[in-house]
Amino acid sequence: MSAATSNAPRVRDDADHEPPVLEHAGSLADLTDELLDKVVRPPRWMGPALLVTFLGTLMLFAAIAYTVTTGIGVWGNNIPVAWAFGITNFVWWIGIGHAGTFISAFLLLLEQRWRASINRFAEAMTLFAVMQAALFPLLHLGRPWFFYWLIPYPSTMKIWPQFRSALTWDVAAVMTYFTVSLLFWYLGLVPDLAVMRDRAPGLLRRRVYALFALGWKGSVHDWHRWRIGYGLLGGIATPLVVSVHSIVSSDFAIANLPGWHSLIFPPYFVAGAIYSGFAMVLTLMIPARRLYRIEHIITTRHLDSMAKMLLVTGWIVLYSYAVEAWSAWYSGDRYEAYTNLVMRPFGPYALVYWVVITCNCVTPQLFWWRRARRSALALWVASLFIQVGMWAERFMLIVTSQSRDFLPSSWGLYRPTSVDVALLSGTVFFFLFLFLLFLRFVPFIPIAEVKELKHGLEREREPEEQVHA
Amino acid sequence: MREVVVAELDSPERVVQAARSVRALGYRRVEAFVPFPIPELDAVLGIRRTRLPYLVLLAGFAGAALALLIQWWTNAIDYPINVGARPLNSLPTDMLIVFESTVLLSAGMAFATVLLGSRLPRLHDPIFDLPGFERTSLDRYWIVIGDAYDTDSTVLDEALGLLDGELARLGAVVTRARIGEQAP
Repeated sequence: MSAATSNAPRVRDDADHEPPVLEHAGSLADLTDELLDKVVRPPRWMGPALLVTFLGTLMLFAAIAYTVTTGIGVWGNNIPVAWAFGITNFVWWIGIGHAGTFISAFLLLLEQRWRASINRFAEAMTLFAVMQAALFPLLHLGRPWFFYWLIPYPSTMKIWPQFRSALTWDVAAVMTYFTVSLLFWYLGLVPDLAVMRDRAPGLLRRRVYALFALGWKGSVHDWHRWRIGYGLLGGIATPLVVSVHSIVSSDFAIANLPGWHSLIFPPYFVAGAIYSGFAMVLTLMIPARRLYRIEHIITTRHLDSMAKMLLVTGWIVLYSYAVEAWSAWYSGDRYEAYTNLVMRPFGPYALVYWVVITCNCVTPQLFWWRRARRSALALWVASLFIQVGMWAERFMLIVTSQSRDFLPSSWGLYRPTSVDVALLSGTVFFFLFLFLLFLRFVPFIPIAEVKELKHGLEREREPEEQVHA
Repeated sequence: MREVVVAELDSPERVVQAARSVRALGYRRVEAFVPFPIPELDAVLGIRRTRLPYLVLLAGFAGAALALLIQWWTNAIDYPINVGARPLNSLPTDMLIVFESTVLLSAGMAFATVLLGSRLPRLHDPIFDLPGFERTSLDRYWIVIGDAYDTDSTVLDEALGLLDGELARLGAVVTRARIGEQAP
């Protein structure tokens, strides 16, 4: 490549030291078959991995059944800490979902090429994370079979939901987010399902994929409409990314508790969400690219770009922590100051606070170094730290404020029960189970988009070849 | 049953050139089938920009109006609850759901119009009868001349003759094909 570019005018300054977005020397047909092969011939570890995560999922459903049949008294929540693991898990999971929409929508609008190979992956992660998230408020209702009371429908009780309450905003935000993410993901998937329909071995498999491909034929008219519709969906989903966690943060910000009643919450939550989401994409992507041997499609360039995103969002999070502490002191409000400056760093949950600072503020500083940004191992370990840190951050925000508010007589501590722990770990298994099913049955690297990318890259490299005629 | 003239090509550059030649010969009912979006073909084949965005805009307005109406009527008119004397018709708190509903309806409209505009979903398309068409999603590029019922065979014969000469240098295989099993 260096020989080819040496005479040509430089397109970009950093072309020399930026790793390529795609390293594939074969034809478009080879590329397609290679990507299809990953789906139709699953690796040997797939069966055992599915089994383990399925067993974990069974544990989750057992914990859910126990909770629903007995009541949420089996959780550690009580007064004063009425929101604990359930809401922490909800905020954490839905935050993780954000990176998917960010990668597919934001980066689509910004025409970032490196998104092409990983967007489907990230979108699937979003869908599955939002599914885990939605479980918790449902269970937290106590009587989840009445969840439809949150939706405005003309009921015989002649009452309506209260739209000035954050709970109804959450319902609208989460349901919209899930639906739009699903539509976006599926619309991008349709042409690739058509590839599966045409190339997958076995009649049954072809028939099933044909049903899901909806009869896609790939005419220029279809592609024209698809391209504009897909771009538009990206544009619509972009403000949605920002809105969902802003609304979630309003659950806290509109309350009066010290440590919750804060204007910085919406941007602070959104930055944290994208931060943890990128970490989750890395946690899943790094082993997958290694195990599926697709390092030439998800390249070092992707790792490098994602690490930079971690660094940026990590700094926004760090800045938010600083502003939160500073305004707690500057407000002159003794309760705010106590919660933010004494209770959190030195109170009974001090350990959680220092885990947050270590994982979220110290870890990403590693990515100032290029070597760390391009090391899959360093990134993977860091991504785990960041996820632990982001979970701990939500726990800290939610639990400390409730456990010590205005009156010392109403203070109290929270301890999780085994059911709490089973639900949290169970959703991790369920999430991984769904994700493995996705890897097993769906073309997880966008075939049409990567082909378009390859074609575009080749044209840039050899501009003289297509000028004739 | 319908008859068409098809040219099969093997690269995106060539399909663009071939489409240009076909249009230059004066054919209007031309369609191309390709494995990934090639925006240049839109202009070559004279595709007018889809009006889909306007439908999406309308759906967005409808979503906003619907959410506003529901929240105002349920909370301020039909079932008012006094919460610390705060206004019953409270626009700032309504705006969040107005936004979500705008996004939901416009996204649904974008999805639906992409599919319905392409006459999807469907179980079968006559073009699938073309021998070798299943390679389209892999690495084949087709130009199809002729439309369902109004092209008579002399026009197609002429097209076949003209195109064979014109497109052979691009390595195209030009043939006549019958697609669609049912008579009009």
